[in-house]
Amino acid sequence: MSLLGMFWNQTVCLLQHFRGRKNRCYSLAVRAVRRAFVYASKARKAKRRSMRQLWIQRVAAASREQHMKYPALIHNLLKCSVALNRRVLCDLSITEPRSFQSLTALAHARRTEGLRAALGDGAEPPGVFSRITQLQ
Amino acid sequence: MTARGTPSRFLQSVLHNGVGRYVCQLKRISLIFSKKGQGSLGVRDFIEEGVVDFAKNNPGTVVYISPQSCRIPKIVAEYLNGNVKEETVTNKASQEIAELITKLSNQSGLDIIRIRKPFHTDSPSIQGQWHPFTNRPPRLCIVFIL
Repeated sequence: MSLLGMFWNQTVCLLQHFRGRKNRCYSLAVRAVRRAFVYASKARKAKRRSMRQLWIQRVAAASREQHMKYPALIHNLLKCSVALNRRVLCDLSITEPRSFQSLTALAHARRTEGLRAALGDGAEPPGVFSRITQLQ
Repeated sequence: MTARGTPSRFLQSVLHNGVGRYVCQLKRISLIFSKKGQGSLGVRDFIEEGVVDFAKNNPGTVVYISPQSCRIPKIVAEYLNGNVKEETVTNKASQEIAELITKLSNQSGLDIIRIRKPFHTDSPSIQGQWHPFTNRPPRLCIVFIL
């Protein structure tokens, strides 16, 4: 029941893919495995951040293809009470390009109505998309 | 554990099991225990009470009872895709062993490792997956074959 034997038995699958002597020599391996665990723990938080960043990048690229900017798209979809999150929008832009096109058209229509209402100073907004609905 | 250091797989079902008929993926379950040891008391109680009902309820699973002189009682579950799962049941109550056996019979034999995505589709795209020419006018896509 040597500590050395126990260490290698438990961690050999973890450190097979390490580079250099870290996968063979005990002292170096111990330090490398500990760092690997620390990185794994820190990365669990960072993964959520980087996934969201990736989704935002993709949605921005897809909306720019449809001649619309990302902040405008998100804000106008929010105003139309379309509660699609960035992950779903990203998946739609990849696998369902026509649906994404219609979503950008919706956001664009809502945006033009909003601008017309802001500039024209009318009481009742003339368009269909900016009619205020009661959300249950 | 690390993501690269530990194995991972995608979500899958064994041959679309529930879509048509459901086939219980547990092939064989062997209860290895000792007739006199104190650790096997729970197993012996389970064999008296619950094993026959379990075997009747799961006609697709073969139940083997093997009393041997062993220090630690085990339950060995073998699945249709060849995976073998061993669980030690020393000093467990009969009720706990029953729950464990129902858990094993509800599992498919796939490895219990990190699942990369909690969803899977065979047809992810209905409108056609995006490629650089989806939103370009068709006259850019003309290819002259000589």
